[in-house]
Amino acid sequence: MAWFVGRRLVWALFATFLVVTLTFALLAASPNPETSQAAWQAAQDGSDPEEARALVDQQHGAGDSLTTQYVSYMVSMFSLDWGQSTTYNEDVTSVIANAWVYSAITVIPATIIAVVVGFGIGLYSATHQYTTADYAATLVAFFGVSIPNFWFAIVLMLVFGELLGLTPISYDSEVPFWSLEHLSYLVLPITVLATAAVASEMRYARAEALEYVSATWTKTARAKGLSETAVTIRHVFRPATVPLVTILVADLVGIIFATAYVVEVIFGIPGLGYVSYQALVRMDTPLVLATTLIPVFVTIVANLCQDLAYTVLDPRIDYEGRSP
Amino acid sequence: MTASTDTTADRERAPTLEPIDWEVVASERDAHRARVTARSLVTAACFLGLLAAWAFDHVARASHEPFLTLATGVAFLGEDGVLTASPSHVDWLFGLTLLVGVRYALVPLWENPRLTRYYWRRIARNRLGVYSLYFLAGVFLVGLIGPLVLGDPEPQWDLGHTPPVGFGGTFAHPLGTTRNGEGILEIVVAGARVSMQVGLIATTISIGLATVVGTTAAFVGGRVDDLLMRGVDLLMTFPTLFFILFLVYIYGGNLFVLVLILAFTTWGGQARLIRSEALQRREEAYIDAARAAGGGPWYVIRRHVVPNVSNTVVTGATLLIPIVILFEAVVAFLGFGDPSVWSWGRIIADGRESLASAWWVSTIPGLVLFLTVLAFNFLGDALRDALDPRHEVNRGR
Repeated sequence: MAWFVGRRLVWALFATFLVVTLTFALLAASPNPETSQAAWQAAQDGSDPEEARALVDQQHGAGDSLTTQYVSYMVSMFSLDWGQSTTYNEDVTSVIANAWVYSAITVIPATIIAVVVGFGIGLYSATHQYTTADYAATLVAFFGVSIPNFWFAIVLMLVFGELLGLTPISYDSEVPFWSLEHLSYLVLPITVLATAAVASEMRYARAEALEYVSATWTKTARAKGLSETAVTIRHVFRPATVPLVTILVADLVGIIFATAYVVEVIFGIPGLGYVSYQALVRMDTPLVLATTLIPVFVTIVANLCQDLAYTVLDPRIDYEGRSP
Repeated sequence: MTASTDTTADRERAPTLEPIDWEVVASERDAHRARVTARSLVTAACFLGLLAAWAFDHVARASHEPFLTLATGVAFLGEDGVLTASPSHVDWLFGLTLLVGVRYALVPLWENPRLTRYYWRRIARNRLGVYSLYFLAGVFLVGLIGPLVLGDPEPQWDLGHTPPVGFGGTFAHPLGTTRNGEGILEIVVAGARVSMQVGLIATTISIGLATVVGTTAAFVGGRVDDLLMRGVDLLMTFPTLFFILFLVYIYGGNLFVLVLILAFTTWGGQARLIRSEALQRREEAYIDAARAAGGGPWYVIRRHVVPNVSNTVVTGATLLIPIVILFEAVVAFLGFGDPSVWSWGRIIADGRESLASAWWVSTIPGLVLFLTVLAFNFLGDALRDALDPRHEVNRGR
């Protein structure tokens, strides 16, 4: 058990190290977009593009050997010295520190909605298989999974913002943070975020719960005279939580992060996705790197938490054996 | 006497082994071998032909003249009835993908009509799946032929926004126009080709990679398995969209590069699935038999493991296509895509500026994108029900 946790921690650290190394390799092996940008700019201004190229390269320490560059890169990455953002004229770390709150206020509610509503409907569908409600839920899930999130956001904006005038169209960061007005700005973004996640959680919850609906122990529980609700929660949902936790973490990262990116750009919410978008557009490499790596770190930590959660959720898991 | 007559009769009635005419067997075997050789030759010739045509187009010929000119004599086709084609790298890769599809999907289905009918009956149980298949076939054909018939979207600067038919528009532009006067219909048709190309090419590469990695890991096992699967774990710690955007930032959003980026970032999950499927297959008796008969690891993987995980591969591929199409659309929507290509994501982004005054620019292409993705998901679900025996338990009624 302790061996399992220890090994898991070591892998998380090793994965972090490898990912950072990989980004260095990718950046080192390709022409720096910033350099090309500077050269292009110089050509526009009528000065020598090669000179501008050399200047930018020099600023980035291109004169040093690859190993020196690598070591200084790794040291600064791990000491959280992530450089200056040219877009915001600030330290990258302080840009991130200011931005993450705006991501959290949409991502956290959407996640809670996804878990509660998604798992709830999924369980109901599984225990009422082949009823009209089940078919309706399955169909809705298909729509939720398939609808392109950016298009959905635009349609919601068009209908609720432009046509009905019920909600504001774009985000205004001047609005007081703790106010009902602020909430009205967040309704549409959270709806878009939650839709795909709810649909996905619902499908998985249904599929996983179905495995246990006709298991022998649920029959025993019913025979003992337990109520349907108790059977559903204690004997169907409990064993289904283990695979669902796995899926939840993967989904959070895959669906909610990706959707949050697009939603922040469309509604203009100054969260991490919006910052990353600005960085990509303005060729702000330090900020691009930071906003790419932060979701990776979050994923690594989330995967670690997921594996540790297993030890609590499923006493049957064997920590020594090889998983199939 | 009776006893002796009985034995004679018995001997006459006694079951004899069916006589084998070894010459016939040998000739049948030779005919089969000849067929296999002929097919390999035709396949090789097709692939080499395509390669030669690409090399001729992009290496030997540096001119910008169209690769192919076809005078059809039908006035509404192309420019004055002359069809021209100047295929890009992506177009050639698309041709290669289609060739792979014909060789490894259509030809086997054609050669085994009984099995084809069996699968079709199973898929046909799911009506939504069948309608989705028809719809996707339609989108595919429109994407393949449509741009040749309608031509590229041409701006008409004086025209500006015109609404679709039924909202005050004319049949000259049935789905309305953009701010620059480009017809939405032409853009949607051009976008259909881009989406189909990206979806099919990237998925083929991705699923091919996943199959190689998944079956190798499962079959070879040991260190190789650990190494490959830890690699997959590492790949999958990158949230896909962020990884794609990072790579697009470094390598640019040219359609050809984007297709490769999408292919190399999406194969991890499928590799895991295929590995777990192949681990079960590895224990089967026919694998032992193939090994005992002297089959090397690559031969056994290619001839016995891969065909027996093909159900997982087919379903996985069908469900990967919509994911890839959506990623391409998001990249184009954010403005990091290929500016020379009319992607559905790009036109949806263009329509954002004039959402209130010209709703059709964003909504119509978006609806087509939505329906395409939905149809792929329905079809994938129908295929899983039809091909995966494990799902039959839930279909008891």
